[in-house]
Amino acid sequence: MSRVTFQSLILTLQNFWAAKGCIIETPLDLEVGAGTMHPATFLRVLGPEPWNVGYVQPSRRPADGRYGENPFRLGKHYQFQVILKPSPLEVQELYLDSLRAIGLDLTRHDIRFEEDNWESPTLGAWGVGWQILLDGMEITQFTYFQQAGGIDLSPISAEITYGLERLTMFLSREKSVYDIEWGGGFGYGPIRQQDEFEFSKYYFEVADIDLHWRLLDAYEGEALRCLEQKLVLPAYEWTLKCSHVFNTLDARGAISVTERVGVIKRVRDLAVACAGQYLDARRELGFPLLAEKAS
Amino acid sequence: MAEYFFELVAEEIPAWMHDSAQATLRERLTKVVEALGVAEAASNVTVNSTPRRIAIFLTGLPEREADRDQEVKGPPRKTAFDAEGKPSQALAGFLRKNAATESDILPATDDYVRIRRRIAGRNVAEVIRERMPEIIETLRWPKMMRWGKGEHSFIRPVHSIVSMFDGRPAPLSIFGIESGTTTIGHRTLAPARVEVTNYNDYVTKLELARVVIDATRRRHVMAERARVLSNQVNGAPAVDVSIWSQWQYLTEYPGVVRAEFQRDFLSLPEEVLVTVMRVHQKQLPIRDEKGNLTNYFLAVLDNDGDPDGHAAYGNSFVTNARFADAKFFYETDRRRKLADRVESLSHLQFQEKLGNYLDKTRRIEAIAAAVRAETGVDAESARTAAHLCKADLVTEMVKEFTDLQGKIGGIYAREEGQPEVVWQAVYDHYLPVNIDDTLPRSAVGAVVSIADKIDTLAGFFRIGARPTGSKDPFALRRAAQGIVQILLNRDRRQVKIGIDRLIDIAIAAHGVDGAEAGTLRDDLLAFFAERVRTILEASAWGFAYDEIAATMEAGWAPSLSDLVDRTAAIKAMRTDSNFLSVLDSAKRIANITAGEESAAVDTRRLQEPAEKRLNELAGVVGEQINEMVAERQYRPALESFAGLAPELETFFNEVMVMVDDPALRKNRVALLRRIGGVAMKIADVTKIVVDRRDYRA
Repeated sequence: MSRVTFQSLILTLQNFWAAKGCIIETPLDLEVGAGTMHPATFLRVLGPEPWNVGYVQPSRRPADGRYGENPFRLGKHYQFQVILKPSPLEVQELYLDSLRAIGLDLTRHDIRFEEDNWESPTLGAWGVGWQILLDGMEITQFTYFQQAGGIDLSPISAEITYGLERLTMFLSREKSVYDIEWGGGFGYGPIRQQDEFEFSKYYFEVADIDLHWRLLDAYEGEALRCLEQKLVLPAYEWTLKCSHVFNTLDARGAISVTERVGVIKRVRDLAVACAGQYLDARRELGFPLLAEKAS
Repeated sequence: MAEYFFELVAEEIPAWMHDSAQATLRERLTKVVEALGVAEAASNVTVNSTPRRIAIFLTGLPEREADRDQEVKGPPRKTAFDAEGKPSQALAGFLRKNAATESDILPATDDYVRIRRRIAGRNVAEVIRERMPEIIETLRWPKMMRWGKGEHSFIRPVHSIVSMFDGRPAPLSIFGIESGTTTIGHRTLAPARVEVTNYNDYVTKLELARVVIDATRRRHVMAERARVLSNQVNGAPAVDVSIWSQWQYLTEYPGVVRAEFQRDFLSLPEEVLVTVMRVHQKQLPIRDEKGNLTNYFLAVLDNDGDPDGHAAYGNSFVTNARFADAKFFYETDRRRKLADRVESLSHLQFQEKLGNYLDKTRRIEAIAAAVRAETGVDAESARTAAHLCKADLVTEMVKEFTDLQGKIGGIYAREEGQPEVVWQAVYDHYLPVNIDDTLPRSAVGAVVSIADKIDTLAGFFRIGARPTGSKDPFALRRAAQGIVQILLNRDRRQVKIGIDRLIDIAIAAHGVDGAEAGTLRDDLLAFFAERVRTILEASAWGFAYDEIAATMEAGWAPSLSDLVDRTAAIKAMRTDSNFLSVLDSAKRIANITAGEESAAVDTRRLQEPAEKRLNELAGVVGEQINEMVAERQYRPALESFAGLAPELETFFNEVMVMVDDPALRKNRVALLRRIGGVAMKIADVTKIVVDRRDYRA
């Protein structure tokens, strides 16, 4: 097996899932905490329309920043996200085939599916599933979505989320995330370590708390205005911006427990409203993807 | 004898759910087998499971159900026969429908025609085939899910079913999946489909396909492997029951790997290392011969070995990563002392209506101070421990590893140089967590633990959030139980305070008074009474329900240890023939005085010699008994009471209590109450249930 790099992994996964009938989306050009928040997941899992997609999503978690000093933890990491809707019965086998595609001989490794359920209070969403352990290390989150935006889902989507840095580190036997190769001989460290340091410092020490509270109010207001105008996709983007501002305030230690519950509810209310309106909008359009698959 | 074999293959079922699912299945299947008339039905039912499959094996089954007779009700007699006694249309139709003739009609017992019909037993394969889908599909799992088009709900998606009666397919359909005759081997090691005929064939073929169906065997294989791997590094696996019960359901083909973490992480507190490995990684630490942690540990494998060392590498990798994080938290936390964190507890909500953790800390301090004052525990230690006990809730370590709350505070307090009694009290103040748990190591720890728990109880009762039925989201039963366990203890850590007093202190700390305080007190007392009863019944003392009921009736809240002594006396004495005298006297007194008015005994109104003598005796013996009760000499006290029986007998023979003269009657009732009251200081013995045949005069 030739040396696995960050980008060879991405390319393999993209090709693999494209060959399985997924469209390859591009990352959402907004700050999000996980690939789940991309409209290609959160909105597309709603309603009856089929959907198969794979994409990379840079995921920002301000509180996870470690100033570029911890070899395993990052304030921004990259996920490869797959949604299969409805979830095919052979979805676990498809997933294992993707590991074979990146060069793993599974008869010589230990693979286990351990219960790990997922819940996002800010998205009004939950699902059940597993963390997938490769030789004892969590490399993937696997979730059968049961609800999103407070809406019971039918059909059910399977979500597969690969942790790209983790997987690359393990496959290339590197002891630090900053030692993996991105591609073309370029290291991940020289490319990313500076922004890990700067953003850690920013989110933990520098971010203007008052400004962020004001941003939260402003973004929320704009989201509501969009909802009134029945512009659900812009409304959802403003909702995501609220979520990121919340994460920033949280990392900055600026949210008390009581406030926390309140802010989460504000974001969830927006997400729930977006989900409902999105479903209505798709219904008005006659669920176009449904028709397309049928024809 | 026939047998039935069933297998369901699903996606990985959470490890902690297997035992109760197996138990439910066993119970349901035993009923089915029992209904077929199989003796010792339970021993003919086998249920096994692996992460991906549930296997069922029923033995000793008949081929057919036994035939049985059934009575069938027909038309009313008056419409069944015409004037000449010939069968009417209605009767003819009824007989035809049941394939019966007139000779099948039973002798009349009421106004209807009845026949006895022979019901042929059905094919057992048919019976089981019909029952299985319902038995499986109605299993309730702790967290259900839907999949695919979302039509069905189960623990995980179901993939295939095998259903065989005596080696022949007994076709059925579960969640729309038709049963077949093939199963599947291990997910990665032998993923082909395998044809199976019966259970023995299945077990053998699965072994070849790298699946061990029996959980106990998987566990034994792993335990042996763990022992060998630990020996190789001069250690032994840490003792841990919960890990094994998880591991056995995390693998189909049992294996164990040994890995190691960087030695310098051993400088982290042991509790942190163990929690990360056990709770977060489901790994088992290896200890050396002195019992100290080594930097080796064990992890479960779904494979019998680790041919290329990948699993050893991966497990080391991930554990080092977790420890690196723990080290980051540990170092960050130690930059700020626990005492300096207490104020920050105001940012951490305890409960919406009960304020934040700083409020709670203040109440714990007040309660601990009051309890301490009445029990002679060192004031300064109790004060400091109460002040610091919740401070670790705002450390990074507890935010990440919540189950270390208390312990982390204790460790940090120790490192900050707090005296042993203080850091241990902080460390221990969540104890006892359950009925088998140890108690805090010192009286100071016991006081802080009680203060924390009674504050929680009084608070949640105050806002009306008490447990109902099986719902107890704030674990209030456990809190009350913990207090009772601590108060029952009598070694050097003993805390001598009554639950009634404790409740008053807590109610005061919550600033409740007036009528609200009265109701709260009564509710809490009733709640505790239930806990006390439960714990005493389950205790090693082996008290019976009626013994506890009798002594609690005579009071329990002021001292639980006194309650135990009184109950022990009743338990010890109830088998003596003497006890019948105690019981008869008390019952007689209770019966005759029930509903009667009385005041104090007026000696001037005593007329008959027998009542005068009884009154004198009541004075003398009563005094003796009081002294014995004061010294907790309950058994001799009860024996003295038994000694009053002959005199009481004479009294009842010679003196009429229910006389017409109200003043005289009142006085005699008062005398009897005086006698009865002497025993009531120990127990209401009338609640004891005896079988007189057990006593030999």
